[in-house]
Amino acid sequence: MSDNALTRRSFLKRSAAGAAVVAGSGFVGFSAWEQGQQARAAGTKKAVHSLCNSCSSKCGFTAYVGEDGRFTEMVGDKDHPYCDGTLCARGYGYASIAWSEDRLTDPLKKNDAGEFEAISWDQAYAEIAEKVQSIISSDGPQALAMIQDPRPSGSYYTARFMNALGSANVYTHGVACNMSKNSGMTQAIGAADFTADVANAKMVMFLGRSYADGIRPSSLHALQEGHAKGARFVMVDPRYNNSMHFCDEWVPIRPGTDLALILGMAHVLVTQGTYDTAYVEQYTVGFEDWAARLAEYTPEWAAEKTGIPAETIERLANEMWEAAPQSCIEQGWRAAYGCAHQNSGETARALCLFNTLLGCWGLEGGAYMPASASAGKLSDPKFAAPAKPADKILGQAEYPLSSGGMGVSTYALSQVPEGTVKGVFFYQSNCVAGYSNPAQLTEFLASAELSVAIDVQLTETCQACQYVLPDTCYLERLEVPEFVGGKVPVVSLRDRVIEKVHPNTKPVDEIFAELAEACGVGEYFQFTVDELADAQLQTVGLSLDALREEGTHVFEDKALKYALKTSWGTADKKVHFTSEACEKAGFPASPGWLEPKVTPGEGEFRLIGGKQAIHTHTQTANIPALMEITKKYGLERIWMNADVAEQMGIADGDEVELSSETHTGRTRVKVTQRIEPTSIYLPSHYGCSVPEQKTAYQVGLRQMDFVPFHIEPGYGGTMSQETIVTVKKVGA
Amino acid sequence: MMTRYGMLIDTTKCIGCYACRTACQRQNGQDPAVDYIRYEEREVGTLPNVACETVPLQCMHCEDAPCVKVCPTGASSIDENGVVTVDENKCIGCKYCMAACPYQVRVHNAVTGAVEKCKFCHHWVYEHPETPSNTCVTACVTGCRIFGDLDDPECELSRAIVEKNAQPIMGDLTKAKIFYVR
Repeated sequence: MSDNALTRRSFLKRSAAGAAVVAGSGFVGFSAWEQGQQARAAGTKKAVHSLCNSCSSKCGFTAYVGEDGRFTEMVGDKDHPYCDGTLCARGYGYASIAWSEDRLTDPLKKNDAGEFEAISWDQAYAEIAEKVQSIISSDGPQALAMIQDPRPSGSYYTARFMNALGSANVYTHGVACNMSKNSGMTQAIGAADFTADVANAKMVMFLGRSYADGIRPSSLHALQEGHAKGARFVMVDPRYNNSMHFCDEWVPIRPGTDLALILGMAHVLVTQGTYDTAYVEQYTVGFEDWAARLAEYTPEWAAEKTGIPAETIERLANEMWEAAPQSCIEQGWRAAYGCAHQNSGETARALCLFNTLLGCWGLEGGAYMPASASAGKLSDPKFAAPAKPADKILGQAEYPLSSGGMGVSTYALSQVPEGTVKGVFFYQSNCVAGYSNPAQLTEFLASAELSVAIDVQLTETCQACQYVLPDTCYLERLEVPEFVGGKVPVVSLRDRVIEKVHPNTKPVDEIFAELAEACGVGEYFQFTVDELADAQLQTVGLSLDALREEGTHVFEDKALKYALKTSWGTADKKVHFTSEACEKAGFPASPGWLEPKVTPGEGEFRLIGGKQAIHTHTQTANIPALMEITKKYGLERIWMNADVAEQMGIADGDEVELSSETHTGRTRVKVTQRIEPTSIYLPSHYGCSVPEQKTAYQVGLRQMDFVPFHIEPGYGGTMSQETIVTVKKVGA
Repeated sequence: MMTRYGMLIDTTKCIGCYACRTACQRQNGQDPAVDYIRYEEREVGTLPNVACETVPLQCMHCEDAPCVKVCPTGASSIDENGVVTVDENKCIGCKYCMAACPYQVRVHNAVTGAVEKCKFCHHWVYEHPETPSNTCVTACVTGCRIFGDLDDPECELSRAIVEKNAQPIMGDLTKAKIFYVR
């Protein structure tokens, strides 16, 4: 044994010293479990309330911190509308991001060789501000754009910063999430979303949305509750997903044809006259137009499109009507149609109209609008909002049906080479890897005069930018209070759980206040986030101190009351079977069939994505506790239908080459009966191309590499599943 | 008073989400590669009549524990409450226990050289005898798991085992104390 070999005895000595260095990381080597258990079981602990950041749900939880500052345990809030008492695998795993060896620790600037060099905050602010001012003076503030994945402080400070500069171009990740869904629904019901009352329904049809894969714990609990009460849950999905444990029927469908299924079922109900005629007469407009249009969409027609037998379509329609009004088609989110296809916006519109036939709106067991709460107007003038920018968000004119609150960020980026957009900011958004084709987005950004990414780890988006600013992680800061809607709305707090791990990182509120100062609009940021949080909470009879104690405050008086919904957010307060805006944008007045942009032919497949329970987009792939699971269980593999694989001579675990018009890559294959034959499923979390993310780098393939840059007409979605792939066995 | 701790896992509710694993690691300060829970997944049928099952497996705290019998140093033993433990100071990392375990749920910690496995959260349990629980039990999003005292016929665990006819995964092989509903 060499002198350097680590003996048990020497290890023990080192680990005792090492424990102090990594205190709080949770991973302290020998007897880590014993220490952890003892700390949890008996130690004196401080409780701090926070919101998880492993996905957009931001579940409330209490963090327990030991006397040594060690973060020992997290317990989900019973009262938080998304958490409902339990956290998910991502929540526990993602907490280790604070101590990740791949954290960004200093501001970075790309040098002429394309390499990042650490610079001071002062230099970063000065150079960025100079470019911001130069762009504004030459092209006006609309030549600037901000792209952010909404988080409580992020949403507030990014919008305030941009509006202070005079720009309306504040975009979310919506194009690659639920924008088409929200925008289509808005055309039909004047609201971007609703909630299926899954816990109390008699029947719910899900279009590819899996509560057990893209987990929001409360939704999963509702699914279980409804299942236990005997509800009939039908899962329409190209894949037999993990929600099937609580569903009664799997209806495999060709992806991109959900609209045909809805039209076919609507045809059945309208032709039979089995729909809520009273509701349609009193609270809707344009029904005759849709009824006439539906005539051609027979179940037999829909069967041809969807691959679902006509008798199944007819049966499902009748079962939905028999269960009405305690039935609906669930609202969906990103999966499986939220931004996926050329017909996604129209699918959302048709979905709302089908539910209208069921007369389910607002009723127990039907589909309801969540109750909400929000902060009131702040009286102190220092919180006064900057003047509303005169222009509309760039892309609204080109994609008139797109939700202005989300914006078509990919269109904005496409305008960089055109010179319309010259400066782009990203806050906690890995746009380049996830919103559309990464090579194309990188190319767009290359011609920007200014590009800045603010994040906790070096992402593909950071890589494509000139400046990278290091954010604190969510456990290291207080944020603006988060108001959350639900059956009972709440306000919940993300407070500082641990001290900063890296001293030169800064929280989002400080970054934008200081950047604003440098850009000459500092007058809009003359307050701390503590003062802002307290002021907001005072408007609802609370205070920052009170919410720090309580964590999540429940507004019982604002709880949902079931009642038939008879007034809508549309101009005339009615449900719209027809939409003038849609007609103007080139769609039929009422939704009809619209083909997907591409359809696989012989020997071809449609590439579909989707979440796994342990990951969120590409954000969590670099977390060792989560990536270990991926590697151990081969979760990065693509799924291929077993019968198809047999015909092609492909066996489970084989290495294959996956090719689309934009990209070719190799990975292993999972051969399964859990996917319909025209689809290949590629989990949306992998293929990281940033070497600095040492855990995630080059594990698996990246879905968006295979998708060309394109935008859904009218609605602005990224059409993440409009791509054809071929599969070839390596070495065959 | 001695207790005989055990667990029930209802795989009909298990969605294979790995929350029990990541919670176990986080709440107990474990290394990402040291997993006390492993998963077996099974798929049956042909499209569209498919079913799948995920079975989480961890130390079964067997009364007739092969790992204890083969351990040459006495590192593996059974404590007074029936919990199978590993004394890491006595473990020489020979892995006999890993080979002997029919459930393949022991892991070799590459950093410490010792073999580890699920410990039924015994510190927590012994400090909270009135409300004994395990991290994996409280973390489970769908409520698959119940922890309790098998010698208390009135506790939730014992009643659920009877009501759901839960069985050890390999029958009587090792007198395992984790009971499965499948």
